[in-house]
Amino acid sequence: MEFVNPLTGFRLDGRRPNEMRHIRGEVGVVANADGSAMFEMGNTKVIAAVYGPREVQNKSQQLNNQALVRCEYSMANFSTGDRTRRPKGDRRSTEISLVIRQSLEASILTHLMPRSQIDIFVQVLQADGGTRSACINAATIALADAGIPMRDLVTSCSAGYLCTTPLLDLNYVEDSAGGPDVTVGILAKTEKVTLLQMDAKLPMDTFENVMQLAVEGCKAVAQYISEVLLENTKQLESRRGM
Amino acid sequence: MRDLQVSLSQTQRVRFQSALQQLKDLSPGSGPAATVVVADSIPVNLEDSVLKGHGTAESDGQLVATVCGVVERVNKLVYVRPFRARYKPEIGDIIVGRVIEVAPKRWRLEINFSQDAVLMLSSMNLPDGIQRRRTAVDELNMRSIFEEDDVICAEVRGFQHDGSLQLQARSQKYGKLERGQLLTVPPYLVKRRKQHFHHLEDYGVDLIVGCNGYIWVGEHLETGENVMLEDQDNHMEKDGQSNLKLKGDQDEEGTFTSVETRRNICRIANAIRLLSALGFTLSLEAIIDTVELSFASNISVKDMLAAEFYVQTAEREVQRRVSKLRKKA
Amino acid sequence: MVGLSSGEKHFIRGGIAQDLRSDGRQRLNYRPVSVEVGVIPQANGSARVRLGATDVIASIKAELGRPDPLRPDKGKVSIFVDCSPTAEPKFEGRGGEELSTELSVALQRCLLGGKSGAGAGIDLSSLMIVEAKICWDLYIDALVVSSDGNLLDALAAAIKVALSNTGLPKVTVDLGTAPDDQPEVDVSDEEFLQFDTSGVPLIVTVTKVGRHYIVDATSEEESQMSTAVSVSVNKRGHICGMTKRGGAGLDSSVILDMISVAKHVSEHLLSVLDSEIAVAEAAAMS
Repeated sequence: MEFVNPLTGFRLDGRRPNEMRHIRGEVGVVANADGSAMFEMGNTKVIAAVYGPREVQNKSQQLNNQALVRCEYSMANFSTGDRTRRPKGDRRSTEISLVIRQSLEASILTHLMPRSQIDIFVQVLQADGGTRSACINAATIALADAGIPMRDLVTSCSAGYLCTTPLLDLNYVEDSAGGPDVTVGILAKTEKVTLLQMDAKLPMDTFENVMQLAVEGCKAVAQYISEVLLENTKQLESRRGM
Repeated sequence: MRDLQVSLSQTQRVRFQSALQQLKDLSPGSGPAATVVVADSIPVNLEDSVLKGHGTAESDGQLVATVCGVVERVNKLVYVRPFRARYKPEIGDIIVGRVIEVAPKRWRLEINFSQDAVLMLSSMNLPDGIQRRRTAVDELNMRSIFEEDDVICAEVRGFQHDGSLQLQARSQKYGKLERGQLLTVPPYLVKRRKQHFHHLEDYGVDLIVGCNGYIWVGEHLETGENVMLEDQDNHMEKDGQSNLKLKGDQDEEGTFTSVETRRNICRIANAIRLLSALGFTLSLEAIIDTVELSFASNISVKDMLAAEFYVQTAEREVQRRVSKLRKKA
Repeated sequence: MVGLSSGEKHFIRGGIAQDLRSDGRQRLNYRPVSVEVGVIPQANGSARVRLGATDVIASIKAELGRPDPLRPDKGKVSIFVDCSPTAEPKFEGRGGEELSTELSVALQRCLLGGKSGAGAGIDLSSLMIVEAKICWDLYIDALVVSSDGNLLDALAAAIKVALSNTGLPKVTVDLGTAPDDQPEVDVSDEEFLQFDTSGVPLIVTVTKVGRHYIVDATSEEESQMSTAVSVSVNKRGHICGMTKRGGAGLDSSVILDMISVAKHVSEHLLSVLDSEIAVAEAAAMS
């Protein structure tokens, strides 16, 4: 299958190889949460809600020098193209929960909130490739909305390699083509990588290019998230007045 | 409630947008640089030995914000004042909280802080009002003072060595709150004032604006009246147990808040809900003004949360700020 | 959800007795309803319904399938509800399972009728394409995103809106020569048939607090309920299903009374929802 048109250089959905899908972020979508956000990357759509920092619910998990960060990833039944009813807590979602938690924990200043707990819940409404990335991006906005101190914005984006071309932000069709899929999460300002996953073989020098492309994608997402948060903060400021 | 899901008509939407724009124009020109989001760098001269306050961190020789908010500078101190966040206690704050546990010699309270707060039996006045050592009997009777789920009002005393937050209630004005409703709003909308207890005489309502964003709106009670209600409660429970359920119901009806006062309570509560959904500061003036506006425009209590009044309140806020600016000038 | 103190409970009960609830509503008032359609573009139809701070999403997926041999003239519909932990932290892990199951079963009972599917609120025979051979399988999945009481009514409303937003692809069938053959099917990806939803019922939950009935209880009010009766009512005023929840025993006359209240309220709710659907469809078009 031709994933990149050899004549025009365009991908199946009309994007250029280094072009990201349309991204959209919205702050404050869940009424009762401390912080919440919706994030869309093309057709992929996720909601993140943050509860806390609050009293640790299970005292045996309490940490005396830092906050306990927990994360749960769940997929709605209707989120995938083929409807599937999946049990909660299958291995895939456990793994993704772990990945999201670890990459965000790298940024949260947990030592400022000892003996407390922060819960991050991400809910996939629509999955069309790149759910991991979308979840991390949504969770970052939700954490910022909850006023939880962070070292930096964690953003994520994926890139792949099909038809001898590095492609940014794979959608479901491209993702299931069997090529490598490199998901990268970075601390945007310092450009430090907090998440890196790849699931196929790739020559070393090509990998470098693909990864570089993904990092560029992360930076673009960070730029966008920063704008969304700034707009939101200004709105809060001008509404509150003095 | 985050924002009311009101469906605005075309004209209402235009009016609302223009009101928001005006608020934007009116907001004090702190300049774009003063509003920061996570990871934005804050321009400072690090050689001038600045003090890094809350919401800031040093990274690669730069001072960066760790929360979204506004940069504040006080002498050498630079900090970021966040908007949406949980409550950050300060000593002397008046707070409203809910008891979640009665533990030995203490109550644990949920106050929208990152941990539960602790109110020691020894840091509160006993109902008899006499200063004395707490006895074992007092300890056994703790549930008769506050039990689980009770809403109470207290003052922040300070932090213990172990990092837990201590409260105190050493005055008649603190204590259990009954006959009313508890509202929760984002704490950044509540400003610390001299007065957080308000007796709104025109309405017969007590309004307690906790610094933690918990707001109590209830029937006005003179101190001491509480005891009477408790007696009635106990009486009722007994009735229920002895299978006189119907009689209990009727008895209860006699003790309800009067309709007139209830309407005022609900009106004030809805004004607070509305202002908090719109993200406007919850000052006493704004609350009262909104209530009066609803009377003036003949809005029923439940319609205060509907589209038209939503827009009106936004427009009113613009007026309030304009007149405030004029007064200053 | 935190509990309420005895003083607050007393205040809520008083408000219900005096017909002025904590947010100013009367006993039989709903909170403002807001509707959004087409929120899940991958589905055949979807809707998001908000009722105060309660927020639910329903999605409809249609697949071709074989009818149940025991009822060859009817399509199949299944309903599943999930409570997302975003709504309440206590739904994390398996915490929301009990409530999800309760809601799913209640919706199935109120919308799908019994085993035979004869009395179903959703017209199952309209899902038939070729009798005993091909029918539509509708998968209705709902998700609770944020919860503040009265989930069942919100879910049923979301399902109704999602169904009205559903287009089933036009199917042309080539009935082969032999009667036992599975027919050839051609699913159009251009032509869609609107699903007839005029008969799909709504659910009105009447909650009994003290001696009075309220509708659209918030979670605070739900904590005070003695009993709740959920009645599904369609446009013609027919009752399509019913569930009673809550421990207290009720006099049958009281139940009849509650049903008539539900029926009365449903007329208003239906018209509100219809106009909201029109607004939402117009917004989705533009």
